[in-house]
Amino acid sequence: MKIYLELNGKQRYEEVAPGESLLSLLRRLGMKSVKQGCATGDCGACTVLLDGRAVRACTVFAPQVRGRRVTTLEGLGDVDDPHPLQEAFVEAGAVQCGFCTPGMIMVAYELLSRNDNPTPEEVREAISGNLCRCTGYVKIVDAILLAAKWKREGKWR
Amino acid sequence: MSYRLGCGIVRVVINMRLKGIRRFHYARDLEEALSLLSAYGGRGAVLAGGLDLARSARADLEGLIDISGLGLSYVRAEGGGLRIGATTTLTDLLESRPAREYLGGFLGEVLRQVAAPPLRNQATFGGAVVSAHPWADIPTVLVALGAEVSFQDEAGRHKGLLEELWEKPFRHIFKGAVLTEVILPPWDGAFAFAKLTRSAYDIALLNCACGLGIQDGRISWARVALGATPRRGRRLPWLEDLLVGKEPGPGLWAEVKELVPEKVEVGTDRRASGDWRRAVAGPLLTRCLARAARKVTGGNL
Repeated sequence: MKIYLELNGKQRYEEVAPGESLLSLLRRLGMKSVKQGCATGDCGACTVLLDGRAVRACTVFAPQVRGRRVTTLEGLGDVDDPHPLQEAFVEAGAVQCGFCTPGMIMVAYELLSRNDNPTPEEVREAISGNLCRCTGYVKIVDAILLAAKWKREGKWR
Repeated sequence: MSYRLGCGIVRVVINMRLKGIRRFHYARDLEEALSLLSAYGGRGAVLAGGLDLARSARADLEGLIDISGLGLSYVRAEGGGLRIGATTTLTDLLESRPAREYLGGFLGEVLRQVAAPPLRNQATFGGAVVSAHPWADIPTVLVALGAEVSFQDEAGRHKGLLEELWEKPFRHIFKGAVLTEVILPPWDGAFAFAKLTRSAYDIALLNCACGLGIQDGRISWARVALGATPRRGRRLPWLEDLLVGKEPGPGLWAEVKELVPEKVEVGTDRRASGDWRRAVAGPLLTRCLARAARKVTGGNL
């Protein structure tokens, strides 16, 4: 079946299988920031934004995004033009193996789009479903709080 | 079939647990959804968020019927109670003004302890009712609140108490029916929720919801439900009867704590032993009761 969607600001018309996951579709379309971890919605590595809300791409059926707006990390920034959240993760030393980082950033993006002055507790709640096996989370929380500070200071584009 | 699509299908086999899905339908109205369900004869499933279906391994399913476009996403205040459309996400419910005002924000207190935010963005309230996992928090709360549900099958519309529906083979009922609304009644008092778990993201090892009304210093009504026992949340009528007419406070909570291990029905599963659940049920219930009582009296307990 064919569906229309908006992926990272661009209109796409894609063939999907009825039981295919959004994770599978996005990987197929080259969105390699969307990682397959658990494939059961538990680890958060495949988190993307669906109409501005963070969801697990592995638990969304691809046909469900018909006519909807999907944003992956590729839609926020890249190596040449990183998003302030990506810069904050580097600045705070919040990246080790990097597998969880795209999911963490997408969750943080949703949080900061609604609340640019979160408490550390609110940040911890936001990332509570995203697993990181390397950092111990402290620097990830620091990075999100740093990005929030930059946003309040008008440093986000 | 293009090579690219061929690759996609290979990936589907790798990624999805539901390997038999052949069709995905976007229902235009309830009648169409019911007609499709009927046509699949048990091999079709309704979805809105799709979270539970995507995590399930139902090899028998051939068709998915998306009802997210049927206008069933709403939260309305009515006569002190709430009417919640079945496809309302937990996040939309949590953020809605009527839900924030219902019972002093009780639903927010509960939902912030249910799963991680991205899962709340996807999971629907109706999905939580239809799935009704034994370990889930929402069923325990809905039983305590005396929630009713409306659903429709090919025979017509039905309405009933969730507590009673869950005693029936409800999963079989929803193979041919669509849940449309959850109705929460008004209560003159306060409710509290408590659960034992390592974090909100973990499955509860035991959960409870308690509601109390207090008049002239004595409990005028009580609603108490205990869940993840490991069975789905159920009311404790013996405890409700015990509480009514008594003066809330440390003396009563001590009496409850002493009686619970003897009276409560708990069991063992891979998450916790029955002995452990029996030992912690008393403290959990009294903590929850005390919190509900403090809410009613404004903390004067």
